[in-house]
Amino acid sequence: MTAMIGTVRRQVQTAPLFSFWLLVLGIMVIVGLISGIRVLWYGLEVTNLTDRVPWGLWITVDLSAIALGAGAFSLSTVAYIFRVKSFERIARIAVFVGFVGYTSAMLALLMDIGRPDRFWHPVIYWNIHSVLWEITMCVILYSMVLVFELAPAVLESDFVAQRFARGPRLGHFLHQFTPAVSIVGLGLSLLHQSSLGATYGVLVARPVWFKPSLPVMFILSAVAAGSIVTLALTVFYENMIRQRQIETRLRNAVAMFGGLLMMGYLYLKLWDFLATAYYSHVPERVQANNLLETATPYGLTFWWIEIVVGALVPAIIMLTPRLRRQDSWVVVAGLLAIVGVVVNRWNVTLSGLVVPMDWSPGAAELFPVREYVPAMSEWGVAIGVLGYALLMLTLGLRFLPLFPKSHEKGHH
Amino acid sequence: MAEEKYLTRREFIAAMAAVGGSIAVAAALSEVDSLRDLIERELALELPDVVREAKGHTVDGTHHWAMLIDLRKCIGCQYCVYACQAVNDVPDDMRWNVYHPEVTDTGIPFHMTRPCLHCNDAPCVSVCPTRATWQRDDGLVVMDYQLCIGCRYCQVACPYDARSFNWQEREGPSGYQPEWGNAEVDRRPRGVAEKCTFCIHRIDRGLAQGLVPGEDRAATPACVNICPVEARVFGDLNDPDSKISRLLKELPTFRLREDLGTEPNVYYVPPEGMAI
Repeated sequence: MTAMIGTVRRQVQTAPLFSFWLLVLGIMVIVGLISGIRVLWYGLEVTNLTDRVPWGLWITVDLSAIALGAGAFSLSTVAYIFRVKSFERIARIAVFVGFVGYTSAMLALLMDIGRPDRFWHPVIYWNIHSVLWEITMCVILYSMVLVFELAPAVLESDFVAQRFARGPRLGHFLHQFTPAVSIVGLGLSLLHQSSLGATYGVLVARPVWFKPSLPVMFILSAVAAGSIVTLALTVFYENMIRQRQIETRLRNAVAMFGGLLMMGYLYLKLWDFLATAYYSHVPERVQANNLLETATPYGLTFWWIEIVVGALVPAIIMLTPRLRRQDSWVVVAGLLAIVGVVVNRWNVTLSGLVVPMDWSPGAAELFPVREYVPAMSEWGVAIGVLGYALLMLTLGLRFLPLFPKSHEKGHH
Repeated sequence: MAEEKYLTRREFIAAMAAVGGSIAVAAALSEVDSLRDLIERELALELPDVVREAKGHTVDGTHHWAMLIDLRKCIGCQYCVYACQAVNDVPDDMRWNVYHPEVTDTGIPFHMTRPCLHCNDAPCVSVCPTRATWQRDDGLVVMDYQLCIGCRYCQVACPYDARSFNWQEREGPSGYQPEWGNAEVDRRPRGVAEKCTFCIHRIDRGLAQGLVPGEDRAATPACVNICPVEARVFGDLNDPDSKISRLLKELPTFRLREDLGTEPNVYYVPPEGMAI
């Protein structure tokens, strides 16, 4: 115990900022644990979710975490399927960010379902007609892919190497299968990242959601933001340890990749708006959009944060050589991309739910616009999940070899 | 530093144990009773074996249950709501069968009620990730509370707001018992979705006893029995001589949001002053 206190004291003295950071993370995780236990004990009664708005903040957390983890499959695809060797240098941290994103999403989902003890049911009781079933299966399988892809990093880490001499060799052996595994990962990711948009897009009764563009917009925004966030984290880490991890050429290439995809996403988003709201006037959709505009915070004005601040600005930063050269701009782009994804997923979820469905045959105003503001317990769990994600990223960057030297030399 | 590393390994081992444990639990629990089995058991309880074997029925599509609600007749007494609450033991702050005062385009007031519509192409059925809700061959859209994980996608998908979620553990008696009837089904646990069943327990038990749902009261949904003006009619669409089949031929009817293609099995006769 005294030894531990001594260690902590030394740690605080030598790295006060890092210690403070760990303290913050510790508080976030504790807040999350308390809220999570409350939710499990008392049930979803402690949330502000209702029969009319049954999905809220936690779904936004799931969707955002999975979207921001999309750098894993996209950068791995470039590195191992398109065989752009230079990308291998950033593929591993991308996979790690993906792992953190997916496990965070699963944590939030476990809180969100009414019967967490039955989370495994979709694996046994298949309903192949359900997008949500497909997503569940893909997410579970893809998490296994991420674990497999991450295994070499764990096996090569000092901790394992010191205790298990064959660790690095085993890691190297597993790494040989990465290209094949990446193909599986690509398929699974394309499926479920898009299906998350389809979760909303296939619901005929919801005029705000029902359209074929949602699945494509979900995956494009995920790949773009996921890549930018991976790059931003890398640059941030370089500044923390004051040592470059990736070459300028790779940095430019990843920035171009993320920036161009983000522009593609914005282009699709523009046409989604033009086709569904400007050039066409389906009465139900017009009515829903008017409602959103006049009676809720989810109207077009709210989209400024999502589109301009959260997508256009990061894309411009990524595509402008003068800006992306500066570390601070890259980190800003990463943070804005996170804001963009989170606000988008929140907007999509809530805008669809707060617009009432008028199924009654009469003319009476029966269904008011729904309202939803997350409860304390919901914020608590969300903070806990964020704390978990940040803690995992901190520990991973500290203890795992996330920027490996190329494996090329070792191949026989 | 060494402590932190040691902890990580323990976490790892704990996670592996959790994965292994949950697979074992999954295997064990996949043997749980389904709603169908529970109904079977209820039948066995209430009927002598002779009757069951003689009349032993299966859901084979020889029947197709539907309801007709005559909005010209409805007086808005809400007895159907109350009987449903009592018989199905629905929590007081939840409704399977809802009532709204409504008004036609021309300004004439009428009374609107809505059970679950038991759609032939039900959005709730297609979105459920575990088949906890499905449509039987006799048209009933039913729930297996043992399978439901509580994801609430069915609530998001249902165009008619016909699905409810058990946000809390149920406590205390229903405010509608025993005045409007007694609980005929088990209470649903916290964390699962539920909905109107067309009193499936009465239908299945009645058929096993040789009764005709829609004609014999013991085999007919509570809301239909209680209606003082006979605004609700229940019966078999596959039987051309059933009351509902005859009325559907005679009367002008519509279904809710037919544009969505959900093919509901609840038909409405429009109120005075409404053109369809």
